[in-house]
Amino acid sequence: MMSLFNLNPLTIKKINRFKSIRRGYYSFIIFTLLVLLSCFAEVLVNSRALLVSYEGNLYFPSYGSIIPGRTLGLGYDYETNYRDLQKKLKDSGSGFVIMPIIPYNPYENDLNDSSFPPFPPSFEDSHYLGTDTIGRDVAARLVYGFRTAIFFSLILLVVSYLIGVSIGAAMGYYGGLFDLLFQRIIEIWSNIPFLYVIMIISSIMIPNFFMLIVIVLLFGWIQMTWYMRTVTYKEKAREYVMAAKALGASNSRIIFNHILPNTVSIIITFIPFSIANGIIALTSLDYLGFGLPPPTPSWGELLSQGSNNLESLWIVSSVIVAMTLILVMVTFMGEAIREAFDPKKHTTYE
Amino acid sequence: MIFNKRSILSILSCVLIYSSVQAAPKLPGNLEWITNDSDEVFASPKAVKGGKLHSFLLSFPLTLRYVGPDSNGSFRSAILGNKMALVASHPNTSGLFPSLATHWAYSDDNTTMYFKLNPDARWSDGKPVTPDDYVFTLEFMRSKEIIAPWYNTYYSDEIGEVVIYDDYTISVSSSKPRPRNELPSHVALNPTPRHFYKDLTGFVKKYNWSIAPNTGPYQISEIKKGKSITFSRKKDWWAKDLRYYKNRFNVDKIKTTVIRDINLAWEHFKKGKLDIFGLTLPLYWHEKATGEIFDKGYVKKLWFYNDAPQYAYGIWLNQDNPILKDRDVRLGIAYSLNMEKVNQEVLRGDYVRKNNYSSGFGDFTDLSIKARPFDLQKADEHFTKAGWSERGGDGIRIKGNERLSFTVTYGSDLVTSRLVVLKEEYKRAGLELVLRKMDGAASFKSALEKKHDIWWGALGGGDFPQYWGTLHSKNAHKAQTNNLTNTDDAQMDRLIEAFRSAMTTTERTDLAKKIQNLIHYQSAWIPTLETPYGRVGYWRWVQLPDVPGTRIGGPATSAFDFSSSFSTSDGGLFWIDKDIKKETLAAKKKGKSFPVVNVVDTTFKVAD
Repeated sequence: MMSLFNLNPLTIKKINRFKSIRRGYYSFIIFTLLVLLSCFAEVLVNSRALLVSYEGNLYFPSYGSIIPGRTLGLGYDYETNYRDLQKKLKDSGSGFVIMPIIPYNPYENDLNDSSFPPFPPSFEDSHYLGTDTIGRDVAARLVYGFRTAIFFSLILLVVSYLIGVSIGAAMGYYGGLFDLLFQRIIEIWSNIPFLYVIMIISSIMIPNFFMLIVIVLLFGWIQMTWYMRTVTYKEKAREYVMAAKALGASNSRIIFNHILPNTVSIIITFIPFSIANGIIALTSLDYLGFGLPPPTPSWGELLSQGSNNLESLWIVSSVIVAMTLILVMVTFMGEAIREAFDPKKHTTYE
Repeated sequence: MIFNKRSILSILSCVLIYSSVQAAPKLPGNLEWITNDSDEVFASPKAVKGGKLHSFLLSFPLTLRYVGPDSNGSFRSAILGNKMALVASHPNTSGLFPSLATHWAYSDDNTTMYFKLNPDARWSDGKPVTPDDYVFTLEFMRSKEIIAPWYNTYYSDEIGEVVIYDDYTISVSSSKPRPRNELPSHVALNPTPRHFYKDLTGFVKKYNWSIAPNTGPYQISEIKKGKSITFSRKKDWWAKDLRYYKNRFNVDKIKTTVIRDINLAWEHFKKGKLDIFGLTLPLYWHEKATGEIFDKGYVKKLWFYNDAPQYAYGIWLNQDNPILKDRDVRLGIAYSLNMEKVNQEVLRGDYVRKNNYSSGFGDFTDLSIKARPFDLQKADEHFTKAGWSERGGDGIRIKGNERLSFTVTYGSDLVTSRLVVLKEEYKRAGLELVLRKMDGAASFKSALEKKHDIWWGALGGGDFPQYWGTLHSKNAHKAQTNNLTNTDDAQMDRLIEAFRSAMTTTERTDLAKKIQNLIHYQSAWIPTLETPYGRVGYWRWVQLPDVPGTRIGGPATSAFDFSSSFSTSDGGLFWIDKDIKKETLAAKKKGKSFPVVNVVDTTFKVAD
């Protein structure tokens, strides 16, 4: 019996083959790194300081409760403005502040009296990609928007695969009336115009992150069922399934322990493309204004701002470049995985 | 939700009555006939006739009817503009001036107005306007066939009857007494041609695309379905030499073409295919309206301040919310609303802070009321007084288990950019604002049903301030009423009732001011920003009077509202100079330039 996680020679061979496809492998490393880094975005892109030394005390404000300005010698009760504090402590010499690389959070408006946003990129102000039309840092919104999009996509992927794979496998395995019934249900379901449903729902309520996942999921699980159904049909007819049956294995044991591991290459091949689809789905919904409520940082919202303000090229170009890079990397990964799992290269039986 | 002022006006002004066949009734003997031949003239004597104005619509109208299903689109005001009423309102003095009637008089009980009709008045098909056409307006508007329940009710409940005294004298009564300055907007009917609408059966379908005779300066002369509609000037219009109509409605043709995308329309304008373009939005005025055609002086820019009644733009706090019930919390919210930052640092200072619930209503407006400024210190005092002195780990104020957090419901993307700035400012005050963007209709519905904590939007409309619907306790605590703040206050009720029954202007202005002060004191409605101006760009061959607009109407030209070309009250002040057009087009070919014209007109600006 094959196992999913046991590194048998075949798996090692697949991994080596994946590694040998350079651009896919490097894309995978960079992409994974980006996802990991985005988990700690608060220490890289934030208006809160990494470290404050004030009157001999050390503060680490990145996570947890706010530190009111009064605590750090500023006369107010709301959250300290660490960029101002940095300047102040530098002048007075009574301490120091270490700020993250991009010292802005994605919500705050960095405005001034002399000119009007959007402000072009400026290293002096640490707005490396400029600001949007209400003075929020584009880079900060890109980073936090990426985090939202990627986790949206990953959660969507896991849940929709769970549903799609189970139903698809069951359809293929049981066949008959069950199969027929579900085929029709899916056909009808997939004819409901997805976008209209979203528009209707979001006009009567504000979708939050998880509700949006549920809505997209309602229509997102379908694709996988077709593939799984076909593969399961094929696998079901193979001798090892018959052998398992002869030994008295239960249906669920046959599906999950025998058939599923043999179809895993199909599933894995689709994963990168599903991730890309998830990102695109969220971005387009946000672009159209049916996605996450403002002021949530999102790529779609940036894209829509950018396309309405083509005079301020830095907005639209930042988000398009970021999106293209991510999607290209995902595509490279997908391509490499498909190559690595290509059954023609590994199949041990005909 | 904003009620279209023009449409409400026109609703009010097309009232009719029904005449009973009786022996000729007698005119009361003591009538004091009034006319107006002494107010200032607002058209320019320099105006010349001729030329063609190119305008655009974002979508083709669904009907040419002005009542009934689908008639409430933006095209409707073009039809209504050419339906004149008995009297019109002067855009600068707000007094009446003669239109279809030459003289008018009031009954002593403030319910009826008497009119002497102008014998020259003609329909566009050449037939004279008869007293019976006013009677027919009532029959028409009360008819079930027009499928317009609102009008059916209004003309039945609010308007009394039309009485014909002789061929040129009629009276129109209201169903109840009204203050003298408000009575005309109800009883100064516009006539409906009985000879044209012989049988109203199947009105909606039968008259969907028919061009009804009118009395105004223009009539539709060409329709290309889905593409364009052309209006032509009546060369021998019966009113063309009347004092307040002279030198107006100058262009021979007004062609309005359907351009479905505003960005595309802007490109048409830049090529000179549209003559006028509205530039009120900061993005257009500051960013888009730059470049060659502006730098070389081919297109002029006008920023025209007016003094028209403004909608009550503001945030509406629902006092049925247990936290918002506390006046100190509401004051805290008012003091931490940093509208100035939004205006100065995002909106380029283009907007004006609204101060009063009823601004732009002339004598009715108490100019001494000023919106509360952004002041975190004062906000803190009020929040503390209300028991919200502590702050949680996220900097938001807490009281026991409760957080000081409110949802703000709104219905437009334009507002998002303002609210995200305000949200950050509110954080400093220790208040959390959760944004709830819905589509326009859904957002208003949620407010009507009182499901909001805070609603961002405007109510208003009409020439006179109104308070009963929005502030009287009768309309509080129930769905589908305009009392969005759920104001339920005995003193307010007393003032509003007194205001509604007061008949003299001094009494009414006095009470209106008291109500405004009470609104300010209660602070359940907090003013935001208003735009008491219009901005337009127009090719230099479009000519405007020396004062390029009117107090109520705004700039003499506005492309988004092309119907203003027709308004009897203030429309049609511009004209087109064909020689300058030739000269400009030739210069454009050669790259020659003219002096740049960028006018800010403050004739009617209200002092800060």
